[in-house]
Amino acid sequence: MSRDVCNTSKSLDSESVDISDVEKEVTNVILSGKDEIEPIENEENIWINDPDNADVDDDLENLNIANFFHRVDSDQIIYQKKKRKLKLVGKYVMGDLLGEGSYGKVKDMLDSETLCRRAVKILKQRKLRRIPNGEQNVEREIKLLRKLKHKNLINLVDELYNHEKQKMYLIMEFCVGSLQGMLESTPNNKFPQYQAHGYFIQLIDGLEYLHSMRVVHKDIKPGNLLLTLDGELKITDLGVAETIDLFAKDDTCYIGQGSPAFQPPEIANGLESFPGFKVDIWSSGVTLYNITTGLYPFEGGTIFRLFETIGKGEFTIPDEIDEPLRSLIVGMLQKEPEIRFNLRQIRQHSWFSRRPPYSSPPVPIPPLREDRFHKMTVLPYLVDHYYNDPNDNSNDVQFLTEHELNELERSKADAEYSNGNAHSSSGRRHKSRNKKNVSCISVKNFPGCKQS
Amino acid sequence: MPLFGKSQKGPADVVKALKEAVNSLEKGDKKAEKAQEDVSKNLVLIKNMLYGTSDAEPQADIIVAQLAQELYNSNLLLLLIQNLNRIDFEGKKDVAQVFNNILRRQIGTRSPTVEYICTKPEILFTLMTGYEHQEIALNCGTMLRECARYEALAKIMLYSEDFYNFFRYVEVSTFDIASDAFSTFKELLTRHKILCADFLETNYDKVFNHYQRLLNSENYVTRRQSLKLLGELLLDRHNFTVMTRYISNPDNLKLMMNMLKERSRNIQFEAFHVFKVFVANPNKPKPILDILLRNQEKLVEFLIKFHTDRAEDEQFNDEKAYLIRQIKELKPIPGH
Repeated sequence: MSRDVCNTSKSLDSESVDISDVEKEVTNVILSGKDEIEPIENEENIWINDPDNADVDDDLENLNIANFFHRVDSDQIIYQKKKRKLKLVGKYVMGDLLGEGSYGKVKDMLDSETLCRRAVKILKQRKLRRIPNGEQNVEREIKLLRKLKHKNLINLVDELYNHEKQKMYLIMEFCVGSLQGMLESTPNNKFPQYQAHGYFIQLIDGLEYLHSMRVVHKDIKPGNLLLTLDGELKITDLGVAETIDLFAKDDTCYIGQGSPAFQPPEIANGLESFPGFKVDIWSSGVTLYNITTGLYPFEGGTIFRLFETIGKGEFTIPDEIDEPLRSLIVGMLQKEPEIRFNLRQIRQHSWFSRRPPYSSPPVPIPPLREDRFHKMTVLPYLVDHYYNDPNDNSNDVQFLTEHELNELERSKADAEYSNGNAHSSSGRRHKSRNKKNVSCISVKNFPGCKQS
Repeated sequence: MPLFGKSQKGPADVVKALKEAVNSLEKGDKKAEKAQEDVSKNLVLIKNMLYGTSDAEPQADIIVAQLAQELYNSNLLLLLIQNLNRIDFEGKKDVAQVFNNILRRQIGTRSPTVEYICTKPEILFTLMTGYEHQEIALNCGTMLRECARYEALAKIMLYSEDFYNFFRYVEVSTFDIASDAFSTFKELLTRHKILCADFLETNYDKVFNHYQRLLNSENYVTRRQSLKLLGELLLDRHNFTVMTRYISNPDNLKLMMNMLKERSRNIQFEAFHVFKVFVANPNKPKPILDILLRNQEKLVEFLIKFHTDRAEDEQFNDEKAYLIRQIKELKPIPGH
């Protein structure tokens, strides 16, 4: 998010040149106006040296707010080229940031033994402690993931710990994005029915497995459904999942912790206990509604309003949705859990058993930082490590101002353009390498940047 | 067939020709060689209609519909399967491909071939007996598993007497056939959760009598695979009733305790996962409790030393510690 703000603020001064590339990974050095701000903190944080250094914002919270609204002119912002250093964690080679969740960062990664591309979730104990139930939820999730294995459920491949840094590395299957991200990349936030159908079938397969293993997910929503490179859907985030006891007579649950808009009436109404598996059916119903219409069946300005509308259980389906999808959604969004569809009824429903016809081109997976192909970001690190002469400092500009950076990018783009198509492939490689070299100061790390 | 351009034969002609060829192959008269050739040729034609070739698209839906209709009417699917062992190697594979494609065909939400096979269950039974013939076992296996994906067909197979033959097939000495049979067997018992649970409940005694044989098999692979599957079946929430019943039977407990002591560590480990359910049961029937009490000390001692090298496996160690604690704390029911 912060990145977007930066993009827009900067795209003013140069045209269509791959501006976003500019920001990629510069380490954000603020030299400017040191005299005025003076000690932001007498610690190391005047130099915000590494976007990875998430501690920065933590510490800023404790600062005098007056220091924030300080003007920094763009020519005063100085970027430092990041030294791209190969970083290994265990047998895994680190790549660039893929995304950020509430619990930590997710980065690209390569298994150096199997050459399998992975994603790693990096959790910091310090950060976890600040989230209510953070540590317990993570621990429970890991325990669950270890024993669960299904093609529609995210697979935990490996776990590594760095006790000194209090970091935990959860190595997972590589996914390119979530359904939520895809929806957001489209103008009306929905998939054509046949595409939604493909995902929904996999969701139900995964859910059936979870339920057969006595696990209630409790937080099914498009944001928790990931896609792999070959289009396989993976249910993720078992942070609030609950396991039904092996000898429990039924699936009664007592706590609902999922995302409000996806909660069923029994939870919205604050019932003391409710059948667990039907919670997931409801959330899957809301998900199906959402991915086919781009809307939510229940809305409310505040969580109380929202729960009030959910509690009544009344909703409308847009006219564009006709049978048989309509009756499937109605069946899954029955207010009473007892008459709400079960997995078998869903499977036997006619919308489920028939793939809807092709209507419009499928929604593609949105590009990651302009990269439509989601190329492996580990590779440039390896190339630098093995092919760049460490003693060759001739090209090494240590510090750049914003202006210089833009000029550099422009000349590079021009050069590439004049090279013509014949060399485009080598040019592209160059570009993608350079791209990772620079990044804007993220707003999150330094709020003052937003103004400039 | 013309040398150039497409063959002008329609589905009806091809099906008719194939049927005649299979019939004469069955009779085994002098023209057998010619028949074999015709069978192969026509199978390829049908296959190309369904799948297309490198330079031709699959036929239009209307042609495929005609083809399917001809196949049903001529009863050719059954005929092909019955004579599968007489068809040459490539032809066998073509039969499986044609069969699976036709099976998956949908009209709207209906699967006409599934409906057709429901009226002709001999097709399924013939396929199942395919495991008795080495040369066609694997071809039949692929077709059976495709059938097992459909609940209606899985139901016919599960509830048939022939299903119990699987307990024999999974043990045959040819490894690839036994493995193939086992994966079909497992598919039938796990694919459609509610159907399977109902089946296991209603046929509990018969199924588990047979299952016992697998657990006691001479064949290591059978023993290990079936033990693993047993664990999966019992721990599946859908099979709750079956699990409760299984863990109330002292004979089953004894069997698991013996398997804990098997020579193979893998079997010990799988047995552990079934054994733990007996111990964790909060409502242990008296016979079960008696056995555990009688062996209380020995079990604790045994478990403490059990697979101590699995230090990495946190879950296993948690469960082991839990079991040891449970067994230590066991007390006879007051009044006995």
